[in-house]
Amino acid sequence: MAKFTRRDFLKIGGSAAAAGAAATVINRTRGGTALAHPPSEFHFVAGGEETFVPTVCTLCPSGCGIVARVVDGRAVKLEGNPVHPINLGALCPKGQASLELLYNPDRIKGPMRRVGERGQGGWEPINWETALQMVTDKLQSLRANGKPERFAFLYGETRGQMRPLIERFTQAIGSPNAISHDSLNIEASKLAYRMTQGINDLLAYDLENTNYILSFGASLLEAGRFPQRMIAGLSYTRRSRPVRSKFVMIDPRQGVTGAKADEWIPIKPGTDAALAMGIAYVLISSNMYNKEFVENYTFGFEDFEDEQGNKHQGFRNYVLRNFDLKKASEITGIPSGTIARIAGEFATNPPAFAIVPHKGGLLNGSANGLYTAMAVHALNALLGNIDKHGGMLVQRYPACPGWPAMASDRLAEKGRQAERVDGAGTRFPLAQHAYQAVAERVLAGEPYPVETLFLYDANPVYECPGGANFIEAFQKIPFIVSFASFLDETAQYADLILPDHVFLERLQDDFVEGLGYTGVALRQPVVKPLYRTRNAADVLIDIAHRVGGPVAASFPWGDFEELLKYRLQDVGTDWDGLKKLGVWSVPPYEFTDWGAKGWTDVVGRDRQRAPRDGRFDFYSREMFCYLGDADESRLKELGISVTGDAVFMPHYEPVTLDGEEKEYPYHLNVITLMSIGPHSYNANLPTLQEISGMAALTTWDSWVEINPETAQELGIHHDDQVWVESAQGRVRTRARIMPGLRPDVINLPYNQGHTAIGHWAKDRGVHGLDLMKSHTEPLTGLATFTNTRVKIYRA
Amino acid sequence: MPKWSMVIDLDKCVACQGCSIACRMENNTPAAPPDQAAMGREIRWNDVFPWPPNQAEPGEYPHVKTYYMTRPCQHCENPPCIKVCPVQATYKGEEGIVHQNYSRCIGCRFCTVACPYGVRYFNWYAPEWDPTMRQHLNPDRVESGEFVQEHTEGPIPRPKGVVEKCTFCVQRHDKALKKAAEEGRALRDSDYIPACVQTCTGKARYFGDMENPESTVSLLAQERRAFRLLEEVGTFPKVIYLREG
Repeated sequence: MAKFTRRDFLKIGGSAAAAGAAATVINRTRGGTALAHPPSEFHFVAGGEETFVPTVCTLCPSGCGIVARVVDGRAVKLEGNPVHPINLGALCPKGQASLELLYNPDRIKGPMRRVGERGQGGWEPINWETALQMVTDKLQSLRANGKPERFAFLYGETRGQMRPLIERFTQAIGSPNAISHDSLNIEASKLAYRMTQGINDLLAYDLENTNYILSFGASLLEAGRFPQRMIAGLSYTRRSRPVRSKFVMIDPRQGVTGAKADEWIPIKPGTDAALAMGIAYVLISSNMYNKEFVENYTFGFEDFEDEQGNKHQGFRNYVLRNFDLKKASEITGIPSGTIARIAGEFATNPPAFAIVPHKGGLLNGSANGLYTAMAVHALNALLGNIDKHGGMLVQRYPACPGWPAMASDRLAEKGRQAERVDGAGTRFPLAQHAYQAVAERVLAGEPYPVETLFLYDANPVYECPGGANFIEAFQKIPFIVSFASFLDETAQYADLILPDHVFLERLQDDFVEGLGYTGVALRQPVVKPLYRTRNAADVLIDIAHRVGGPVAASFPWGDFEELLKYRLQDVGTDWDGLKKLGVWSVPPYEFTDWGAKGWTDVVGRDRQRAPRDGRFDFYSREMFCYLGDADESRLKELGISVTGDAVFMPHYEPVTLDGEEKEYPYHLNVITLMSIGPHSYNANLPTLQEISGMAALTTWDSWVEINPETAQELGIHHDDQVWVESAQGRVRTRARIMPGLRPDVINLPYNQGHTAIGHWAKDRGVHGLDLMKSHTEPLTGLATFTNTRVKIYRA
Repeated sequence: MPKWSMVIDLDKCVACQGCSIACRMENNTPAAPPDQAAMGREIRWNDVFPWPPNQAEPGEYPHVKTYYMTRPCQHCENPPCIKVCPVQATYKGEEGIVHQNYSRCIGCRFCTVACPYGVRYFNWYAPEWDPTMRQHLNPDRVESGEFVQEHTEGPIPRPKGVVEKCTFCVQRHDKALKKAAEEGRALRDSDYIPACVQTCTGKARYFGDMENPESTVSLLAQERRAFRLLEEVGTFPKVIYLREG
């Protein structure tokens, strides 16, 4: 029976009656200040039958464990999974708000086929059978025509088995083109670790046991690879042990991370390598480096002679002759006293480590990104904190049974030998992926036309600097399939949409990354799928089966669950245990002593051409294998300004900037926020929109952060509408005057200014990457984010 | 009888706003649409913001130090809000929690003015959720009354025109109380924590019984870094902060 509420009562009876009612109610007031009551008067009414289901978040790459509270089949609250080692029960605002992703009214509700012109927004719902048949026909005809390499797969954040599955699918079809978005973010650091330490992966940090953290632009507490892991670790080092750590943040912008750090050092954008070299200079010239490690377990520190008898300069002399405090100070704009002090603190507070963003955007710019990351990692080697307590760790993964051999298929084998569409390994010699380069390569018809394109968690039109060139490139691709859950900037140019579940409906595994030791978590459905969506992994296996022949034979699993059960059979717990706990990890991290058994798994493991001899390369032999015979003009072509031995060592490469300094005096810095995060669809969560501008006192909008000195010069006041203009275009937004950034830098937050996705995200604020030119580092295939100059003026 | 109390370590807080949104999802506060948000009408019982607010200078470049504050209801021992409430819609419970009874609130907003901490929020507009979005609302209710719904607290969506505030997640408290009663025992210190404490990414929040001298909150409250907001106004908050650094 519907209750008669007090408010209804007021409406009917008026105030006199209300006063009477009040008298009766007061006696029942819960332990009121004056009045006692029996507690049984108050009823807690549970919302219904509740269950708790563990799963894993996807709103950023942290991979936090979640426990969903499900009441009567509806997910009503998410909590951190207390046994998940990354977040230990905590959950950030994105994770908390992700119920708004599940129940978002703008989700795609079933497979759709384009009607009318591309990009005009005409769609008709179709059934899965028809949709999958369309895809199968296309793939079969590609293969029938002997051109399977004309299939390409662009993918974004993949976890656990999803990445090998996508790669295997692409290879089974007969194409080398499984192209990850890594070149937009983590590839700079990965490449640097590979070229120095010989590990082709992101390293983990022993954060809990370190005393000194030197962060070169890694906004640990807001964005990056595993922000939640960093927050938990940092919080531990501050207050959960006797000695408090020191955290130094080097970044042109202070942000929340700089504000929460123990020291913020503003640096000229793109000059981090010079600072790292300056610190190396102090460590080497003052004999503060770890001699035992450097002498026995590194290569190229001292000058050396190669097998042909050629003399080479080593890192020591290169640093001593080319960098001193004065030079480092000139380049970086940091006082030499500060550099010397930081270097001293770094060397005398062991264990200490130096880190780069595991989101390379801040580094990238004409070969600068790779060398910067190498220079910073060289500091770790100078202290010898490789695989040491409180130092840098090599991420380990659970042992999984090998993938069965691919079915014999001459057509696919030939296709896989073709050059990659993104030019990774050819046009861009060191690259493993060059996601953003696909657009210009397709437009140029290099190396061959793409006929069918798959997009999984990929929104290149929005995610890439100057990504609008993808729209043009799509004109040249006859068939585009997207697995998007929202009609994002890229999906709206697709021909067919095969919508994926959102993560709360999906089954998928997830490796625990960021702690070093192995762990696997399970993303499992907490509610039944709301709409006619399907797990993209199941769809891929289904398509492979439909294509038939050797493609089908390469996928001997009925569905993704079967595949997962096969791959995860040896992780240390059984399937039911994993489902129940949501995660299984095997701490602690087992350190390998320098030179001991297993040391070559820590240093040198993933070198493809150079010797895997357990030596950390100050002088990158791996790089020498790629570039050893490059002459001066070739090096110039690759964006390298130095010659000789310096090419293979960490050094400072000036960034080539887009826009004349006179005309465009300010650096454009596009920042990622904790609130609204890296994924396009986060922008369509109303709660995240509401809180997105916390630090800038802004809501539901973009802003541009300007230093007070700059603002005064330009006559700009708080909340003025301003134009931010680059050589590529201009955007209009509101000004925020904030002292926490360099006067020659302006910050624009990422993930606003969408032209699609949903009604909360669309036409709100501006997009900083629109001001950038699409550019790819010629050496590494990385997208460049830091090479844009702008001017600002009042609107 | 416990005295529920919260300690927030600002040295561990990283201003991620996890608390704000955990609170929203637990207590069904609506996301303010852009026009309402532009007027400052967002309802976040636990707000996070730069301190001092209103863009006051946190120093001159490069010597800048920005502080961030996270602010739930302070659950004062001597709460000014209850003294001004003409209808006793807000009251202090025996365990020290300052409650808000939506059924009684007439929306006069005396309390929002009386509160020196600005943690009482008025519903300027009828909160709306898209029908699909409505499904994630927390269905728990806290109520009493046989014929007339005399008393409603907790996460039930509030109508336009009432004031609401942080309740230390009263529904979680009452749920724990019910469970304790079923098990035939008194409520214990560790029986419940509010949503913001549970989600805190920096593990900066602690919750417990201040009457128990051994509890974590009691011990932390003795720290040299401990302070209360506006201690001088005599409200005796039960939320205690620990200074940075």
